[in-house]
Formats: sequence, structure tokens, C-alpha cells
Amino acid sequence: MATRTKKMKKKNTLFNTFFSQGSMDIPFLIILMTIVTIGLIMLFSASYTYSYYNRGSSTQIFSRQLIFAVIGIVLMFAISKIRYEYLRLVALIAFGGSLFFLVLVLLLPEYKPGFKRWIDLGFTTFQPSEIAKIGLIMILALLLERNYKGVTGKIPSEMTLCKKITEFSNGKFVIYKSLTSVICYGMIIVLFAGLVYLEHHVSGTILMLALGVTMLWLGEVRGGWFAVGTILVAIAAIVLILKPEILQEYAGERIRAWVDKDYSPMLHRWQTNNSLFAIGSGGFLGAGLGQSKQKHLYVSEPQNDFIFSIVCEELGFVGATAIIILFAILVYRGIKIGMNAKDRFGALLSMGIVFQVGIQVALNIGVVSDLLPNTGISLPFFSAGGTSLIILLCEMGMVLSVSRSARKKG
Amino acid sequence: MNKKPTKKMESRSLNAFLIFCVALAILIGNLFWIQIIKGEEYRLKAERNQLSDTVIAANRGTIYDSNMKIIAQSASAWLVYINPSRITTDEQKQLLINGFVDIFELDRETVEKKVNREKSGYEKIIGQIDNEKKAQLQEYLSNHKDQKLGTIVGIDPDTKRYYPLGTFASTIIGFTGSEDIGRSGLELKYNNELTGEAGRRITAKNALAGDMPNDYETTYDARQGYSLVLTIDEVIQYFLEQQLAQAVTETQAKYAYGIVMDVKTGAILGMSTMPDYDLNSPYKIHSDAVIKEIEEMEDENEKAQAETNALYSQWRNRTVTDSYEPGSTFKLFVAAAALEEGIMTTDTTYNCTSRIKVAEYYQNCFNHKAHGTQTVAEALPNSCNTFFITMGQKMGAVTFSKYFEAFGFTERTGIDLPSEAKPVAGKTYYEAENMGIAELSSASFGQTFQISPIQMITAVSAFGNGGKLMRPYIVSKILDEDGNIVSETEPYVKRQVVSEKTADIMTELMEQVVVWGTAKNAYVAGYHVAGKTGTSEKIGANAADQTVASFVGFAPANNPEIAVFIALDEPQYYATGGSGAAPVAGRIFENILAYLNIDPEYTDEEISQMTVSAPNLIGESTDNVKSKATGFTVKIIGEGTNVVSQTPAAGQTMPKGGVIVVYTDDTTEKQKAVVPDLTGLTLTEVNRVAANSGFNIKVAGTTQGAGQILSYKQSVAKDSTAETGTIITVYFRSSEIISD
Repeated sequence: MATRTKKMKKKNTLFNTFFSQGSMDIPFLIILMTIVTIGLIMLFSASYTYSYYNRGSSTQIFSRQLIFAVIGIVLMFAISKIRYEYLRLVALIAFGGSLFFLVLVLLLPEYKPGFKRWIDLGFTTFQPSEIAKIGLIMILALLLERNYKGVTGKIPSEMTLCKKITEFSNGKFVIYKSLTSVICYGMIIVLFAGLVYLEHHVSGTILMLALGVTMLWLGEVRGGWFAVGTILVAIAAIVLILKPEILQEYAGERIRAWVDKDYSPMLHRWQTNNSLFAIGSGGFLGAGLGQSKQKHLYVSEPQNDFIFSIVCEELGFVGATAIIILFAILVYRGIKIGMNAKDRFGALLSMGIVFQVGIQVALNIGVVSDLLPNTGISLPFFSAGGTSLIILLCEMGMVLSVSRSARKKG
Repeated sequence: MNKKPTKKMESRSLNAFLIFCVALAILIGNLFWIQIIKGEEYRLKAERNQLSDTVIAANRGTIYDSNMKIIAQSASAWLVYINPSRITTDEQKQLLINGFVDIFELDRETVEKKVNREKSGYEKIIGQIDNEKKAQLQEYLSNHKDQKLGTIVGIDPDTKRYYPLGTFASTIIGFTGSEDIGRSGLELKYNNELTGEAGRRITAKNALAGDMPNDYETTYDARQGYSLVLTIDEVIQYFLEQQLAQAVTETQAKYAYGIVMDVKTGAILGMSTMPDYDLNSPYKIHSDAVIKEIEEMEDENEKAQAETNALYSQWRNRTVTDSYEPGSTFKLFVAAAALEEGIMTTDTTYNCTSRIKVAEYYQNCFNHKAHGTQTVAEALPNSCNTFFITMGQKMGAVTFSKYFEAFGFTERTGIDLPSEAKPVAGKTYYEAENMGIAELSSASFGQTFQISPIQMITAVSAFGNGGKLMRPYIVSKILDEDGNIVSETEPYVKRQVVSEKTADIMTELMEQVVVWGTAKNAYVAGYHVAGKTGTSEKIGANAADQTVASFVGFAPANNPEIAVFIALDEPQYYATGGSGAAPVAGRIFENILAYLNIDPEYTDEEISQMTVSAPNLIGESTDNVKSKATGFTVKIIGEGTNVVSQTPAAGQTMPKGGVIVVYTDDTTEKQKAVVPDLTGLTLTEVNRVAANSGFNIKVAGTTQGAGQILSYKQSVAKDSTAETGTIITVYFRSSEIISD
């Protein structure tokens, strides 16, 4: 039976070259669809008042999101069918494309005054940073796979400069590939993060850095680097909290508002305070679906970054915890898929994608519940935003694609 | 190259997941803190944001007299407030300050202070303004629309208390403060019942201050305040106030106060303290004399203090809150106790030698007059001190104190009015064990202790009520907004103080006091009035030689219905109970008994003196008139043959042999004459002067008994013109200085 199947596969070579025949990871799919469904329901509940007042119809935001979700899911299944080996090619395109759009958005006129995050496509807007996230994951996954030995082993660098240094020091100083690679990858990460920072997008910058570091960690870069990195981040954080004014003005204000809970320009805490009121109002069991009062224009744009506060108000501590746990399971399942992937690229891709989701979830909830300064970071699958949702679902398609070619199931 | 993931990668991914899980755990822990531990706090904060809580004011209940005439009423008014935190420009500030000062005539400094409280969200500017002021404000706001004052200024419904009758019953009704809370009188005592419960309408508002969907609206209806129906009868109260006000003018007393009570139930029919004040402006000093006195003061502090004192003084219901030394009126209770205890009978005699030895020194009878041998039926009308000192000494301090307590002088009467004077043993009266012979002797004629007017009238009413002591009350019914009775006061018998027999004897004795004794000025022709007068010396530094002159009694003696108490505090003329208070009481009895339709029973002598009904002469021919009106003097005026009108009208009571003027046509002018001065004359003189001027006389007040009886008052003013034949009521009283 097994041999016959193999023969069958070999017969359809052309088809098999592009499309995976393996079955995808069903638990991951179920959890994902559960999250997407809850996300859509909560989006409707959270958005209708805002939508009514700002868009003229209570369902306008929801129906847009629903259409994007359907498109996204179709794309997700399509991508899951593609043998992810071909995604290596896509990695290069995504890398190039990301850089192109990240530079382009800086040159285009501002979509919102003071913010250069968005490119207006007419029917919708799109944030290059959304593409840049997956672009960064893919390029790092590709590089870390290709250069596995260089990163982990003790291979002298082949770069001319490094060889020269070894020659001049009579072989005393050998510069290994592990060093040069880390510097090279670090530069890629800093390039991405730097471009996003120029968009006045602090949270995107942080996410980009966190994502890059996670990829390097999973790619088995030497542990010492992370110790150094941790110390640097800690110092940076302390400096920023103590001297927020060195940041761009709006970001500095937000940090100040986070440190000083009674910070006087109320506007800077208005959003956070109302978010806390909403979360607190939820209590243990919540007010019930649709029963949020804070969404009535108190929590500004409750369908976006602060949707989780409405989730907390309506579903309570129980519901909020359940959703967090669902995300945790999704991440875990993604890691599992990565572990079972047939190669390192698949593993790094799958894990990178689920960690991207996980980091975003953690940062978003941290902001909403006032554990972190107010930075604009969306909650995956919940927050309104068409392109973001489509890109996320496409990424999920990639994870599913990896799961189809798994060495072993389960 | 297709290397599968290494073990190291696996462990690193699990490490990363672990860190992720720790982060999630912290987040969940934080949610627990926010939602469970601090949840309530945040929920309340959120509600404060979301909810708009509008108070639905409850109208304060109405106060009616016993005939359902409105004495106090609430009408809707408006309250103006501002939200200073919404003020953004100095221009707005100036407009607001100028507007409020101009429209409401407020103090500029106070308004400025409120406007400048930038952090405050609510500052009340003024309450209880009427529709007109509200309209003025709204016009002002719309004139300055460009300044968006409407977002700062708010107008809420409020209520204002109106007293349609002004000064009427002011000291018992009391008034309300700015928050519609009772400050004095019944408004204070029944504040809870009158207030009602404010309702609330809670609506959820979104951040743009628009209403959220309707399911968030909750309304708690207001319960309107209950209304009070008083036992006070507007007519009786009016008689009382009129007479007391007149007494203040006549006697120049500092205050005059009086109570009219239903003898059988203890219901208060009238109660007043003069001078009083206007309930609609309680903070204005009502007495011109006091205002003048204060204006003459130099020192500002002294002035302010005097003003405060004057206000508190004019709000006092002295019949309940103050106490006085009763003097001779108290002899009634000594007599009743002695009769009840068998210490004396109506036949017991005592020889008054004008003085009596008490302990080391002598107590004098008034004017050092020796009353000679007398029974209680003479001692009481004579108000003989020595007689009652003897009786007091005979019964001893213990029995005296027993009756003192039994008549209710050691406790509050329990009337439903605030701040009733509280008797304190050892302070306002002596207890039996501390009462020596000197104290007992003085107490026997009503000195050395203090009681309140309401205690006095309540105790005396027991004699007219078969010996039963009632609890006085002033609110007969409490009604809800639909007029349903919430509660009704039932007359309450406190106890049987003396036997019915003793009470009846006391009533008879008291009638004698009015017929020929010290209270004869309270006599009302046609009625049996029972009473007793008293004049007591005031004690205290400011009261040297000052007295309280009082009368207490009830009528009709054969079937008592109403009791009257009158006191003049520091009268300068007619400064005894018999000459000052008794005539006031007499006039009040006369008015009230007629108003209550109690039929008079005239004695033969009274009938002979006065009244017959004027015959109907209209239609009669001039020839027949004289024969129809035998016993009258008839004056025919006009050219006609038949009578078309007459003065006095047919059926009016008029003196026998009086003048009837008849007119035989409509064209001739009514004959008029100047009214002569009829005061200061004897009855005979009055009749003569009146007849000469062509007027008829109706006699009121006492016309018999010892001493010279002179007229002192006439119903139609002298020197005014009136139709000839008009009946003029002339009041008589004993001009003798009555010592009681």
C-alpha cells in the first residue's frame, strides 16, 4: 500500500513538484479557526457603535473584515497546498518587496498627519510593516538554514577582511563565520527595524527587533550574544523610561503617561484609563456578549488596538484567559509543526510565524492592560484591518504547508 | 542541506515558548488584578463616566388648615449651576460673571470665586428662581451663542416654597431653607413626611454625550411629599392673631402669645406669638421697632449680633418653646388638688387677714387687702394668696408635687411641634424633697417654678374635660399626593388627673371668676365663660418690675368646647392678667363662639339691656309703620307712601327702643351722621350719646360686677360717617386695677 502510494506520487511529478500531498495539521487548523471565529464575533460586538457613528452603518467595519477573512482563508488553504520548498524563492521576493515598500512609504505623502505607516490603496490601506514582518522571518529562516554550519560551527570567515586580519596576526586572531553571520543578520534586523522606526512606528520597531532576536535564538546563534543583547535592551528600556524625551515626541509622551498614572494631559491616558475601566467592568464572568458599555465611544477605536479591553468587559476574566490560552496553544502547536518539519527552513518558518503572533498578542494585551506603554500594536485575528488579516492568514497557510510535509505527524 | 531540526533547536524553541508562557501568565495575573481585585473600583469609575444621573425632584407636601385652605405650598422653580472646568476663555468668564450679577443680583465676589474654581465640575449659582428669571438667563445665553456659554451653564428643576397667607400662623408653620429642608416649626418637625423621596433617571451616555440604546435607561419615580392637614382653623387663628396684635399695640407688651385649644380632644385650633414674621421672607426682621433699634446701634458686631438675635426671636413659637412663672392661674391646680384630696370642701372657710406668716417672714396678699372669711368660691375669684398658701401648706410638698406631676408640669406635653420646653427637676421646678415651706408657699400661688403656655392650657382643659388630661396635637391628618390618608391623629387621653366631680366643681368656680372675679373682663354676654387670670413677676436682670399677665379659661362652661390661653409678656399698660389679658380672651371667645355656631343663652338682665330683632317694616305704609314698630323710635325719610328700605335691616339684633330709620323712596339720599366717640363712657352715657346721634348700640364685654365699668372700644371708628340707625358694637370692661 505504501509503495503504491509512492508510485502514485511519482507518476504525477509535475503536480507533486508544486503541491504537497500530505495532510495538514488538523489541531492547528481547528484552534486557528476558533480564534478567527471568536475574533470576528468580538470585532462585530466591539465595532458596531464606532462604525455607526463614524462609518454610517453599524456593520460596515464588520462586513469588510468578514470579506477579508473569507479571502484570507481561501488564500490560506491555497498556500497550504504549495510545497513550502518554493517558499524559499518567495523569501527573497518578500525580502526585496519589504525593503521596497518600507522605503516607498517614507517617500509617499502622509496618510495620517505625523504618521507614515500606511500606503493608501484606494479601497483599503496597507502597512508595509505587515509584509516586512513575514519578509524578515522568511529571509532569516532562509539564511539561518543555509549558513547553519557557519553560525553554529567554528569555520573561519571567508571574507577578505577577515582573512587579512588572520594573516596579519599570524593566525592568532581567527574571525569565525559565526561572528560575521551574526553581525550580518543583526544588520538586516536593524535595517528593517530602523526603516519601521522612521515610519514613527515604535511598536512595529519593537516587534521587528523581538522577532529578529527570536529567529536568531531559534537559529541556534551562540547564547553569549543573547546575554549581551538582554543587557543592552535593559539599559535602553531604563534610559527610555527615565528620559522619554529622547524619543520622537508622541512616543515619549506615551511612555510618560505610562509611568505617571495621573499624567495630566488626560488625552494621553484617556485611552488607557477607559481601557482599564472596560477590563475592570468585566469582572469574573463579564457583562455578556454585546453588553459592553465602554465601547460606546469611551474606548477609542475599540475595534482596533484596544479590542481586547472590550473582550475583557464582555467575556470577563474567564473569557479573556480562555482566549489567551487559545493563543498559547496555537503557538505551541506551531512550534510542534516546526519540530516535525522535514527541514530547518520549514521549522524556522513555522516557529517564526507563530512567535510573531505570540509576541504581538503579548505586547497588545500588555498595552491594553497598562503593563506596557501605549504603542499601536494590533491583536492578531481580532483587530480590524483587512490587509493585516489577509497577510496573517497567508502566514498561517505557510505553517499549514510546513505541516503537510512533516516527517511525522502529531 | 535538507537537514532536519536539531535537538538544540527543539530545546531553544521550548525555552522561547516557556518565556512566552511566563509573559502570558503575567498578563493573566494582571487581568486578575484588574478584573477581580480592582474590578468594582473600575466598574464604578466607568459608570461615573457613562451614566447621566438626573434627579427628579419630589415636590414638598402642602400644609392645609382644618378647612383645607392652603397655608404652605411648593411650586416649581429653577436652579442654575455651572461647570467651571468647561470654561476655556477669559471672555467666557467675564460674560458669566456679568450675566449672573445682573440677572440674579448676586454678590460679584462670590460669583467670581465660583467661576474661577477651574477644577470643579459643579458650582451652584442660585436656586429657587422663577420662570421669569430663568427666561432672562436663557435669553442672555442665546445672545452670547458664539461664546458657547450653553455648554457651561446648566438649569435644573428646583422647588420653591410659597406661603400664600404670609404671616399667618408663621411661628407654628415655620419655613424651609435653601435646600428645601424645614428650618423651623412644622416644616422642621414634619420635614421627613413633607419631603418625599427624590426620584432618579439614570441614562447611559456615550462619550459624545448622546444616549446609548434605551435598554440602559432606568427611572425611579419620585414619591411626592406628604401633605399635612392641621387642626388649626384659619378663622380662629385669624381672630387670635388679630387680637394678639392689637394687644401688643395697646399694652406695649414685648410679646403677646395665645393658644386656642379644643377642650375635648387637645387639638390646637389656633396658636400665635406676636410680633410674628412673613414666612415668605423669614430673614427679614418684621418688627419695625426692632429694625429701628438695630439701626441705631453703632458697633457693627453688636449690630450683626442683634440682627441674628432678632431673627431667632421672631421665629420662636413662645407658646411651646418658652416657659414662664404662671402666677395666680396656678391657684386652680392647688384648689383642685385640695378638693380631690379632701383637704378642703367648697364649704371650708379661711379668714384672710391680708398677710400670713411663712417661716421667718410674712407673705402679703395683693394690695395688702384683707379678704376676710371666705370659701374657695370667693378666694378664687378674689385670687387670695393667703388662702392658697394655707391650702398648699396643708397638703404638703409631697401631695403638691404629686399633682404638679399629674397635671403634666414635669414633662413635655408631647405636642407635635419642635423644641418644646423641657421641664428640668431642680432647675425649672422643685422636687418634693427639696421643697421647703417657703418654696411650697410661693409655689401655691404660682411662683418659684416655670411652665410653658402649652402645659398650662392643656392642664386647665382637663377641668373642662371631666378631669382627663389630653395630649395636644396640631397635625390631624397626613395625606399622600392623591389625597389618601396616610395617618390620622386620634385624640389621646394621657390620664384622669382629678375626678369628674372635682373637675365640675373647678369649672363652676372658674365661671365665678369670670362672672364677678379677676377675670370679669373675659365675660361674653350670652355665654358661660370659665377662667382665671394671673400676673407674675418676671425674674431676671433685665426684667425688673416686669410682669407676665395671663388668662386661661374655656367656654361654654356648661359644655366646654374651646380653651383659650393669652399671655402678655412685659406689658406697659393694663399690666395685669385681669386688665390686660382677660379682655383679649373675652373678645376671642366672643368671636370664636359665634363662629362655631354655639347658641348664646342670655340672662334676663342681658336681654333687657340689649337685643331684640329689628322688625320688618318694608312695604308698610307710613301710617302703619309706627304701630308696627312699637318700642322703637322710627324716623321716616322720603316722600313716598310706603317703606322701601330700612336701617338696621330686618332681623338684626338691636337695643330695645333703638332707632329705626325708614326710607319711603329710592331717590332720597340715605341719612348719614358723624360717629361720636363712644369710649371711656358708662353704659348709660353710651346709650345717650348714641341715641342723640341716631345710632344703635350693641354692648359687648362685661357690664356688671364691682368697680367702674367703662367702654373702651367701638366697632365703627369715631369721626367717620355712617348711616343713621347703624348698629355700633361698644366694648366695656372694668376699669378697676384688677389685682390677681
